[in-house]
Amino acid sequence: MTESHPTTEPQRPSRALSAYLLGTLEFESLLAFQRRLVYDISGDRTTAALILCDHPAGISIGREGSRSHVRPSPEVLNARGWPVRWLSRGGGTMLHLPGQVACYPMFALDAHGLTPGAYMEQLQGVAVDLLREYGVTGEPDPERPGVRVNGRRVVHLGVAIRDNVSCFGLVVNADPDLELFRDVRCDGDTLPMTSLARESSHRVRVTGVRQRLLELIAERFGFDRTSVFHTHPGALHQRTRHAAAHRP
Amino acid sequence: MRSALTLPALGSVRVTFSLWYVRLGDCIVAGDRIAEVLIPGATFDVHAPATGTLAEQLAFPNDSLTPGQVLGWIEEE
Repeated sequence: MTESHPTTEPQRPSRALSAYLLGTLEFESLLAFQRRLVYDISGDRTTAALILCDHPAGISIGREGSRSHVRPSPEVLNARGWPVRWLSRGGGTMLHLPGQVACYPMFALDAHGLTPGAYMEQLQGVAVDLLREYGVTGEPDPERPGVRVNGRRVVHLGVAIRDNVSCFGLVVNADPDLELFRDVRCDGDTLPMTSLARESSHRVRVTGVRQRLLELIAERFGFDRTSVFHTHPGALHQRTRHAAAHRP
Repeated sequence: MRSALTLPALGSVRVTFSLWYVRLGDCIVAGDRIAEVLIPGATFDVHAPATGTLAEQLAFPNDSLTPGQVLGWIEEE
């Protein structure tokens, strides 16, 4: 029979993270799913969730953004199929494209002992660590949170904190089409965004960036366990475009 | 009795008022989100500390704020 000895070290409650790796996700699906997760976490503050995905082309504008950061006219945006969404989050304007990794952590900040300001610093720290792993030195921007490389923004941050639970988060340009960033001044920057693939001498794959981001976040925020899901409840009810009924 | 709606410490040097979710005279319940403030890169919802009606608004969009500043007053029921 083994005898248990009391430990002198303080016991930290074990923390589990539910990570949703969802591939390409329509922005409306993200908003609905995120709203539900924030509601769940605000009720049980020991839980936490993370959505990792990318979005079809579109523009989102946070509280620090402006329509003047989007160069194309509404008609051109319409022709390209780029919807513009005004979001109640911090941060400025962002162009969403395939080839990015969008990362939305939903953490109860009080459970982590973090102020909103400290949380933003931690999130920028994760982005800098990620870039370092690809041999790139990132410069955090405390005034307009995000990370730059050689003066050009590569990571965008935009967060909302509701009931002390974080939502939205960061977007990493892994390997998107950079030409399109000439049309949108992301976060008000005059220089177009760059990407990890452009700045790094390493091979950059979106799936690899996504996986490493998940690991870095779990490590930095002190999660003991991570459960990974590849689908979410809302996805089951999405109408499939290719299965529309034919008219007789 | 009046209850002060104060800005908590957000760990950021720069805090600005963003918007009110409720108007003067609106009924509010303790815990309702009634205002939004902005730190660089993030919005933060301020919640009502008491149930009653919003009696006074002391902060307006783009005002710079400091921790502990009174944003408004709630007339308790």
